[in-house]
Amino acid sequence: MPQRLCKIELKEKGIAILEIPGSEATTERQLLEAIRRQITHITDTSEIKGVIVTSSDSHFCTCGIQEYHPSPYTAAELSSFGQQVTFLLEKTGKPCIAAIAGECTGVGLELALACDFIVAESSARFGFPGIEEGRLPFCGGTQRLSRLVGKSKAKEMVFGGELLSAEEGLAIGLINRLYDDNLLSHAQALLEKICTRSPLAIRIGGEVINAGYDIDLQTACMLERDAFALIFSSHDQSEGMQAFLDKRNPDFKGN
Amino acid sequence: MPFKHLHLETENQVGYLLLGAGTRFNKLSVTTIRELKRALGQMEQDGTINTIVISGYPGESFAVGADIGQMLHFSPTDALRFAQLGQSLFDQIESCSKPVIGALNGITMGGGCDLAMACDIRIAVDTLQIAHPGARIGIITGFCGTRKLPRIVGKNAAREIFMTSEPYTASEALRMGLVDRVHPEKDFWPMVKQFAARIAAHPAETLSTAKKVLNASEDIDLKSGCALEAALNGTLWNTRSTSNPTP
Repeated sequence: MPQRLCKIELKEKGIAILEIPGSEATTERQLLEAIRRQITHITDTSEIKGVIVTSSDSHFCTCGIQEYHPSPYTAAELSSFGQQVTFLLEKTGKPCIAAIAGECTGVGLELALACDFIVAESSARFGFPGIEEGRLPFCGGTQRLSRLVGKSKAKEMVFGGELLSAEEGLAIGLINRLYDDNLLSHAQALLEKICTRSPLAIRIGGEVINAGYDIDLQTACMLERDAFALIFSSHDQSEGMQAFLDKRNPDFKGN
Repeated sequence: MPFKHLHLETENQVGYLLLGAGTRFNKLSVTTIRELKRALGQMEQDGTINTIVISGYPGESFAVGADIGQMLHFSPTDALRFAQLGQSLFDQIESCSKPVIGALNGITMGGGCDLAMACDIRIAVDTLQIAHPGARIGIITGFCGTRKLPRIVGKNAAREIFMTSEPYTASEALRMGLVDRVHPEKDFWPMVKQFAARIAAHPAETLSTAKKVLNASEDIDLKSGCALEAALNGTLWNTRSTSNPTP
């Protein structure tokens, strides 16, 4: 097993940088397993307040040696595993930003799509070129992409396999912010600001957004109403409102 | 019964519902929400009104969220009742048979943002500042925003807005699709009035059918939506052919 396939580094103010290899010779499964271990670490480490998923290479994970699947069963099994990993990434309960430079394709784009949102440098390119070898996104990418950019844009990307520029990504809502340079410091500043907000509100808010997105309006609003009520038993709510009234910075604890 | 926090006006078949607390910020307090519900009910019944515009009284904010002093000591069940009250207002706006336009004339925050999102169309002044700052004060919204914002601007943009709790400008809001039109401050009211009057000049039953079928498109599958569209067109044609027989 390759040692330290993905590194995690804890910066100041609780910001963790999760580094995904750019184009290392590893199988998709090994890569996903390494990422899963780091996600578990992120979820379980209370010192980590927020995460930036990025790569120190010139590309963001173009990766993965494709595995030979002797049967549909093993292919479906890898897909379920990949989906499990992206669900775990979505559910760390901590804000998570993907910061992309260079090519972000295949599993790389799948991971970026499972983050809260994506920011990028102008060198970034996005796509699912796997179609050229007859492959499709398999870690939930087809579902997340079409919900994010719309069904027809998702089809254009998956059928065509072409890479989108960063500007195109911004125009269709695939990425939220585009920076000329200093990607990581911009992403870090943004995440630091987010980490000054209530971790409880961010966590519950994120869960309610995900849970409510695919269901009807009335049920989603009821779910939100109950989550809203729950927050009124928390430290963060009384502290946040008192600090606002006192015109001082709140001391949030996430509970 | 007079309104304490609202001004009501009617012009060219458009009912204007202006929030005006006499202060810079129009808060969505329990009283204001109740008044909005009552005023909206009156305007829906009023046969001379064909379109409704909700805005802040000129020169003030559109609306900011609830009164934080009032909410500070809410118990969870107080909060539940408050969310329920707000949600019932937004449901009333969405079920209202007349188009409701949100004219965002200034600062639009928290519950104010949710009020804007309950409107059918949003027009903003170019000096708009729009934010959902719940996470800054340790809460999430309870006014349907977690469901509506992701549907309007996309999940990832919505998460960014909630997570940063920062204000966004008119051009950012336009790019994300959070507002549909932006006008410079000096043209804002004339443009809002012109746009609302244009809509109000259209047949009432057609507008209400359009609203119903377009709202349904969000929640139901394509085939059922098409069946609804066909049935509603049948009813509409029937209404129009009896009220305005064509030669």
